[in-house]
Amino acid sequence: MKKKNLSSRLKKYWPFYIMALPGLIYFFINCYIPMSGLILAFEKYSVSGGIFGSKKIGLQNFKFLFSNADAWIMTRNTLLYNLTFIVLGLVISIMTAFLLHELKSSLSRKVYQTVILFPSLLSVIIVSYLVNAILAGDTGFINNHILIPLGLEPVSFYSEKKWWPFILTFVHFWQMTGTSCILYLANISAIDTSLYEAASIDGAGRWQSFTKITIPCIVPTIITLTILAVGKIFNSDFGLFYQVPMNSGAIIDVTQTIDTYVYRGLLNTSNLGMTAAAGFYQSVVGFCLVFFTNMLVKKISKENAMF
Amino acid sequence: MKKITALLMMAVMLVSLFAGCGKSAQKNDAKPENTSEKTTEVAKNTESAKVEKIKIWVPTSGKYDDIDAVMAKVNEITRAKIGVEVEFCPLQFGQWFGQYSLLLSGTEDVDIMANYGGYLNAYSQGACLDLTDLLNEYGQDIIATEGEYLKGGMIDGRQYAIPIYAAYAWNMGLIYRQDVVDELGLTDQVANVKTLEDWEPILAAVKEAKPDMTPYVMNTGATASNFQYGTWDDLGNNYGVLLDGGKTSEVVNLFESDEYARLCKIMYDWNQKGYSSKDIQTQTDGFGTLTQNDAAFSTLGQTDFNTKFYQTTSIGKPIGIVMLGDAVGRTYNNVTYTVMSNTKHPEACMKFLNLWFSDTELGNLIKYGIEGTHYVVNGDGMAEYPEGQDANSCTYHLGASVSNTVAIRWVTENPDYVKLLNDANSSARRSVALGFAFNTDSVTNEITQLDNVRAKYQTGLETGVMDPDQYLPEFNKALKDAGIDKVIAEKQAQLDAYLGK
Repeated sequence: MKKKNLSSRLKKYWPFYIMALPGLIYFFINCYIPMSGLILAFEKYSVSGGIFGSKKIGLQNFKFLFSNADAWIMTRNTLLYNLTFIVLGLVISIMTAFLLHELKSSLSRKVYQTVILFPSLLSVIIVSYLVNAILAGDTGFINNHILIPLGLEPVSFYSEKKWWPFILTFVHFWQMTGTSCILYLANISAIDTSLYEAASIDGAGRWQSFTKITIPCIVPTIITLTILAVGKIFNSDFGLFYQVPMNSGAIIDVTQTIDTYVYRGLLNTSNLGMTAAAGFYQSVVGFCLVFFTNMLVKKISKENAMF
Repeated sequence: MKKITALLMMAVMLVSLFAGCGKSAQKNDAKPENTSEKTTEVAKNTESAKVEKIKIWVPTSGKYDDIDAVMAKVNEITRAKIGVEVEFCPLQFGQWFGQYSLLLSGTEDVDIMANYGGYLNAYSQGACLDLTDLLNEYGQDIIATEGEYLKGGMIDGRQYAIPIYAAYAWNMGLIYRQDVVDELGLTDQVANVKTLEDWEPILAAVKEAKPDMTPYVMNTGATASNFQYGTWDDLGNNYGVLLDGGKTSEVVNLFESDEYARLCKIMYDWNQKGYSSKDIQTQTDGFGTLTQNDAAFSTLGQTDFNTKFYQTTSIGKPIGIVMLGDAVGRTYNNVTYTVMSNTKHPEACMKFLNLWFSDTELGNLIKYGIEGTHYVVNGDGMAEYPEGQDANSCTYHLGASVSNTVAIRWVTENPDYVKLLNDANSSARRSVALGFAFNTDSVTNEITQLDNVRAKYQTGLETGVMDPDQYLPEFNKALKDAGIDKVIAEKQAQLDAYLGK
């Protein structure tokens, strides 16, 4: 871009600046002003001192996140679940979006889309009870209507670890696919149909037009969404990991994430400093990861990088 | 990059522009109305000097639909007697524990807080006002009623909390459906139950006769541990307790004690025999809700001489209890009221607490509502629901009180309640640690980790879903790794210092 001073740019583009204004103000108030509260992570909070005047205690609040055997388990769980969600999520949402797009009748497309989207409108508490109704030992559907009639041993899901990575992954996708495929669906719908026509004249089948046209056209969206997801890799959906397993202790080894650890550890002590420290830690790691992922993307294909 | 800087500058400029606008607009507005505003402000000031408004937050399991009408009456009394207007902000118990931390942070409009499960968190955050001088000046009725039990709200000789005056002496006990026991002809057998082991044949009989009723459930669902109200004195948290209600001052590891192992074994046995549900560790409803639907028969909980009344009225079914051991006065009362350290009306708060402690009319109003509308007084001078109403249809029954002696008795209560309460409190054995408060500041990291270890094992072991032979040693090892010994040593040192050893 050629050098232009601010005033001349303002003169030329002022309607765009005005358009951006509400968003900027929103971000400033909601995202930047509260950042000053990060100082809590380095304080022992007291009511009289408030957020800015409490006693500074350095890094002490961060200690609990690293000083035990559970630190490894919760970090591992958070990372592995999120990696699974990112990789599998990519495949599932793109496939769902593609299949929805392929439906010729717009009525059936709307019906299917609504059905897929519906679970994401449910509160996680309701979801956890739905899961409970299926898995419970005494009254659950699987035990009482499938396993016992078949003469099989009933399974007590809430005390057996091995099932939960699958259950949680399934519940996650059952709930989230609807929303995550919307962006891809919009993207796919926007692809110029003449490309497909040209491809079919050249003798390309469905699969070929999918891999040769659809995928390349949505690569920028894929990269952007993935980088954003990587930034949240140290955060977890608290509802999914705390409510859906009904806070059952026996399966904690596979359901504990950083968020649930912080919640369990501080539920009884309500220590604001330590809570803030955990959030700070997650954000810093997330920020670094976004940065590095973007650098990586820049190396591979410059035009697709986010910044 | 340049784009971004430009945008940011744009934002900064606009914000300052807006700020400027706001200021000048204010100035313009202010000028003409200046005089009138001042006069109203003065009027407000003189009024608030006369009547101070305070907000008090309490949890409840009762109804409060009609709270505005009741508060209007309450304020007639408080305005006249102490020049204070009070607003009660009740929350249902389920909501309460989620909101409590937020209310404590000092950012909300709170003057007086109810604390359930101790007030030490509030204290360590600096949320509790030092009430020592205020209490001496305005709290004579509280001092007269509570006596030595006021220690339950003291830290290092300063008064930070007002414990409610209730049954201080309690013990772990069984709470069960009396009508079911009578119906099955087990009344005599129940009368001879002394220990938890004796309860098993009763559970067996109930399971046999009432297949739809779970013989044993958790008291509050999975939100609290099954042995929350144990025979031990928990000294503020369960890491280091005084066994047997605080007979000696030796702090021991509860989870390694024989008592704990015994209880876990019984629960495991009951679960294996099907007296408790396979899903007990994810139980979502409390004993009260389940019992109202005839789905539960018995549970473990905190019992004192009045539990039978309390449970019967709040659940609406006949309830009986078996106390497992003698009632003992513990380290500190579970329920206290604290004044927020950032309140603007400390005197008003203390005056109100004192009045609530001593004024029966006020006590009745807050607890039961308006006479004639929410309750009536029968021929014996006891309160009951008006004709045709019950616990579910009555529109106000907050049940909250700071001293259980300053209200007339409910119809199902013992008419001699006040005397019994005073007797029980003055005669009961007291824990040697009565008045001790554990300062957790130096072991916060350990406690955070220990709480996570407990989350993994405690519910499973205490409900009997986990086999104690296998998991109890594992639990204890994890607790050791998380530093329970350090916490216990710290507790012992603080207790010794408190006792002047």
